[in-house]
Amino acid sequence: MEVIVVENLVKKYKDVTAVNGVSFTVKRGEVFALLGPNGAGKTTTIHVIATLLKPTSGRVLVGGFDVSREPGKVRRLVGVVFQEPSLDNQLTAYDNMYVHGRLYGLRGRELHERIMEMLDFVELKEFAYKQVKYFSGGMKRRLEIARGLLSNPDVLILDEPTIGLDPQSRARVWDYIRRLRSELGITILMTTHYLDEADELADRIAIMDHGKIVAMGTSLELKNMLGSDVIYLRFAQPVTESVCREFSGVKDCRLLKDAMVELVVENANKLLPEVMKVVVERGLSLQEVSYRKPSLNEVFLHLTGRELRDSLETPQSVTRRWHR
Amino acid sequence: MYRDLSPLVAMVYRQVKRWMGARSRLVSTVLNPLVWIIFLGLGWGSVFSGTSFSGLPTGVPVPPGLSISDMIQRYFNAIFGGVDYLTFMVSGMASMTVFMGSFIGGLSVIWDKQFGYLKETLVAPASRKLVIAGRILGDAIITTLQGLIVVLLGLALAGGLRLTGIPIAIVYLFISALAFSSLGVIIALKLTSVEGFQMLINLLTMPLMFMSGVFYPFTTMPDWMKVFAQFNPLSYTVHGVRYWLTGADVGLYPMSPVNDLIVLAVVGSAMLWLAGVVFEKTSIEE
Repeated sequence: MEVIVVENLVKKYKDVTAVNGVSFTVKRGEVFALLGPNGAGKTTTIHVIATLLKPTSGRVLVGGFDVSREPGKVRRLVGVVFQEPSLDNQLTAYDNMYVHGRLYGLRGRELHERIMEMLDFVELKEFAYKQVKYFSGGMKRRLEIARGLLSNPDVLILDEPTIGLDPQSRARVWDYIRRLRSELGITILMTTHYLDEADELADRIAIMDHGKIVAMGTSLELKNMLGSDVIYLRFAQPVTESVCREFSGVKDCRLLKDAMVELVVENANKLLPEVMKVVVERGLSLQEVSYRKPSLNEVFLHLTGRELRDSLETPQSVTRRWHR
Repeated sequence: MYRDLSPLVAMVYRQVKRWMGARSRLVSTVLNPLVWIIFLGLGWGSVFSGTSFSGLPTGVPVPPGLSISDMIQRYFNAIFGGVDYLTFMVSGMASMTVFMGSFIGGLSVIWDKQFGYLKETLVAPASRKLVIAGRILGDAIITTLQGLIVVLLGLALAGGLRLTGIPIAIVYLFISALAFSSLGVIIALKLTSVEGFQMLINLLTMPLMFMSGVFYPFTTMPDWMKVFAQFNPLSYTVHGVRYWLTGADVGLYPMSPVNDLIVLAVVGSAMLWLAGVVFEKTSIEE
């Protein structure tokens, strides 16, 4: 069942088209990643889904509710963690959670218990009554995830959840996302420009560039898009080029050096058992088998090109550094 | 289920907690009016006093039974509504503290824009009107408390304040705080930079303050200034609060204790309503 439906979403600012005809759906319990370089339109897409921006055209449904017509209902279903921190630094972690809870209609004992449960989930319980201004970047991000989960949302939206975090915090955040998916079955829509992150966490990935989705599928499907896997076979005994004739379904076969054969195939996962069978049937034996799949990195660069994405940010993000 | 006052409570809670967390702000709230009271109040206080007059010019006829300093004292008493200058000024100081505090409260809206907290309130399923009303109410409670502190300071420093008038004066201060907090929030919602807001504060607050009767009475103002003063909501706060704190009833038409309350209540509700409307339309799209 689809929790998020985006159909032909277009979002234009004064003179820029940030999102240009994007369509995708996210199923219940799925982790869906929007992957793309900076300025690809990921954050704008997410802001429309989170009801912060009105779509210029197209249709966006969350839990069956239209984001333009019934934003109030959508807001109740969604927890959001923004790319830039949105905590009140002058309040304690607990108070940040408390205010959020009250804004989402929670109260009393239930709210208190839920706050403690969520702080415990992100391992910040012992810092509950410390002011957020003393928190590190990683702690703030974890607190924001806890806050996003406080109202027990159907959908958690994470905008670049690990940007600017140290490897430890990053691993921790990944951990939380995996646990949310497996333990709570919560639907997660995330953006990232880290390929390993999308590869590691997402059930499905949409690669975005210039306001459009250029490719969509599982990590594996995307990698297979680039076509060929390569299988390397090192035989125990010297072989000749003639061995190539034994294998069927192979795009290309070469003898690299004595006893080392390279097979270019469509899908190594599927073909490898077949290859092994042939080897055994011909009475040969192997010393070593390895295969290489194209990395998501190669797919990504193949689809989005290699040029740098320099775009001007809004002036707000410049001034914020001055006044922090 | 979202029709309850939770969002209002949440935002009041936040504003009050923030204020309690920042001790330095508490100090500056007290210190700033204290500086005005000491240097302006005490300084001018002795100027506007008959007792400071000693040299009797020759050839001036003096009515029997009166000294020149008595006459001067009577003159000043009439101008300042029957109280000495220090009392006059201290009773206006509370209004000024509330005005400045409330207005500058809008600054936190701009911080929220820059620190991303505004988004947090915009994606919440809570009623926007209640959210912004809560924030304004929180600010108003804080600045009214600050005003009370100044009144108590004045009570210690100036002789003429009436203890019994304080509860009623606080009502005037609170309604004014709601009005000026709303105004600050409305302006802040329309701006993006702290510098811009500070410029507006300087541009607006100084004239409004000086044309409100805090430092000198309306009656001796130039005519054009009187007109501005009549349209300045702060004048009504100053007049009303001064009346209840000291009994001095020096104002322009239509200022009277009842009319002051009416004007402030009307302006306050209008501002609060407008703040709600502006916040409903607020988006992150600039």
